[in-house]
Amino acid sequence: MSLLQRDRDIIVSNEYVDHFDFAEVEEFVKNASKDLFISHKFKTHKGKTLVQPRGGFPTYEKMFALYEQFKIAGVDVLPLTIDSHTRLNDYGSAAKMLRLSEESETDMLNGYPLINHGYRTTRKMMTHFNTPISLRHGTPDARLLVDMAIASGIFEIEGGPITYLLPYSKNFPLDKAFLYWKHVEKVCAKYSTLNEPINRESFGPLTATLVPPAITIVIQICEMLLSLEEGVKSFSVSFSQSGSVNQDIVTAAVIRKAARKYANKIGCEDATINLVYHQWMGAFPRDKDFSESLINTSTFIAAMVGADKIITKTRAEAFGIPTKEDNGKAVQNVQYTLKILKGLPNVVDPEEEENLTRCVDEIFEAIFNDPADTLWRKIFNSIKKGIIDVPFSPHIINANGVITVRDKDSNIRIYEKGNLPISEKSFQFERSKLNLGNDKKNIVNEIIKDIGVML
Amino acid sequence: MKVVTGVVGNDIHVVANRLIDISLQSRGFEVLNLGVNTYLEEFIDAVVEIDADILLISSLNGEAEGWCRDLLFMKQKYDLSKVIFIIGGNLSVGEASTEEIIPKYKEYGFDLVFHQVDLIEGLDEIENYVKENKK
Repeated sequence: MSLLQRDRDIIVSNEYVDHFDFAEVEEFVKNASKDLFISHKFKTHKGKTLVQPRGGFPTYEKMFALYEQFKIAGVDVLPLTIDSHTRLNDYGSAAKMLRLSEESETDMLNGYPLINHGYRTTRKMMTHFNTPISLRHGTPDARLLVDMAIASGIFEIEGGPITYLLPYSKNFPLDKAFLYWKHVEKVCAKYSTLNEPINRESFGPLTATLVPPAITIVIQICEMLLSLEEGVKSFSVSFSQSGSVNQDIVTAAVIRKAARKYANKIGCEDATINLVYHQWMGAFPRDKDFSESLINTSTFIAAMVGADKIITKTRAEAFGIPTKEDNGKAVQNVQYTLKILKGLPNVVDPEEEENLTRCVDEIFEAIFNDPADTLWRKIFNSIKKGIIDVPFSPHIINANGVITVRDKDSNIRIYEKGNLPISEKSFQFERSKLNLGNDKKNIVNEIIKDIGVML
Repeated sequence: MKVVTGVVGNDIHVVANRLIDISLQSRGFEVLNLGVNTYLEEFIDAVVEIDADILLISSLNGEAEGWCRDLLFMKQKYDLSKVIFIIGGNLSVGEASTEEIIPKYKEYGFDLVFHQVDLIEGLDEIENYVKENKK
C-alpha cells in the first residue's frame, strides 16, 4: 500500500465519516458522466465564458432548491460552498448546526457541511443535476474534504496553501498548510488518471483589498506549479476585478503568458491552464441597482479579457448571503450580458505589460534563488522574507511591508515595496504613475478612499 | 516612542489595524503590531517585553468591553505606571452614547478613550496628549 493511501485511510477514520469505500469511489469516478467534469466543459465550450455563481445552504433540500434555481437561470458551473465550521475541521459543531437548521426554518450554517452529509447522499444530488460542480471553501487542511468531494462527484477543487491561508487566518502554521495541500494535489492527480482530469483552481482575489497584480500573479503561478508538480493536469489561475479596466486587461494578458511559461519551465507542457475572473470582490454599494450596474461592468471586463469562467456576485451582496432568487437572477443577467457583448476591441498595452511581466519575473527569480531544496520550501521562505507580501493579510507570517494606492486611472500601484525584490526600474515605473508627494500622513486617507472605490 | 497595538478579542478587522500601523509609523512611532485576534494578556506581555511607552488597543466589533474589564487587575502585576493606555474603535456592541462609554473605560484603566472617532483626529489627539503628559 502506498504511503498516500495509508494517510488517506487514517484521515477517513473519523467519527463523522460513515465507512469510506475507496474501491467503490474509484469505480464511480472511472464511470462518471463527462458532463460532471469542468475540465471537459472547458474543452468542449472553447470561447464561451462559463458562468458560475457562489452559494451553499446547510440542508440537502435547500441546496437542491438552489441548484434547481441555477439550472433554470442557465448556469454553466454549480458551486458548492462549504460552511465555516467544516473549513476549520470542526465537524462536531457543523453536525449540531445542521441538526438545528433541519429542525427549523433558520439556516445555522453559512454553507453546506459536506462531511456531515457524506458522499453517498451528496452524490445523488450531483449526479441528478449532471453539471460540473466547483468546491468553494477556505480550508487550510482540506485532506478529508477533498476526498469526500471527489467521491460525491465534485470534480473541481478551489484553493491552495497560500490563497486559502494568508487572507483568512492569523496563525495557522503555513508550513503545515503546504504539506496538507500537497496531499490534496496528490489525490487530485491520482483521480485525474481515471477519467477526465480533476480541475484545480487557485483563489486569486486574496484579501481583495488593493493587492497589486504582480503579487496576485506570482501567487497564482506558485500554487499552479505546486499542483502541476504533483501530477495535476488541469489548472485555473484567477484574479478579481481591480477597479481599472486597463489593469485587468494587462493582468489577464500577463498571467496567461507567464503561467504557460513557468509551467513549461518545470516540464508540464501537457497541462491545461484556464483563466477565471471574479466579479468585484470588495465592498459593494448598498443601492441594489448600483450593484447590478457594477456586476454588468465586471461581466464586460470578463468578456474583454476572454476569461474561461466568471464567478458572479448578486445585487444583494452588501446585505449578506443572497436568496436563491437573487442568485439565480444574477446568473441570468450575466449570461445575457455575455451573449450580447459582440465585436469587442482587442486592447493591448505593451508598456504596462512589459512592466508587469518584469515585476513577476523579478519576484520569481528571487523565489527560485532561495537555497531550499523543494519548491514549497522556497515559496514558504519567500513569504517569511517578504518576497511575497499580501496587503491586508491578517496572518502573522505576512511581512506587511508593501503599501499600495490607486493612481488617477484607478490602477493599483506599489507605493512602498517593502522586501519585494523588484528592480529600481520596475519600482520607478509604479511610482511615476503616482502623484502623492512624500507626506505619508495623507496616505492613509488615500488608502481608505481607494478601498471604497465602488461605494 | 514605542507603541504596542492590535485588535482585541475574536475580531478580524485587519484593514483598520493595518491603517493604524501605517499611520503611527508615518508619525515617527516605533510600532509593534500584534495584529487581529489578540488577547489582553498578549498585549501586556508585549508591553513588558519591549518596554513600550504606549499601548493602543483597538476594537471594531464592540467586544472590547468584555476583554478590558481585567486591565486594572493586570496592571497590578507589573509596574506599568509610565505606560499610556489607549483604546479606540467601536467600543460597544449595541448603541451607546460617548458620554457613557468614556468614563466607563477610564475606570477600566485607560488614559485615552476614542469611541467612533476619525483615525487622523484620534492620532492628532494622541500626539498632543503625549507631548503634554510626558510620564
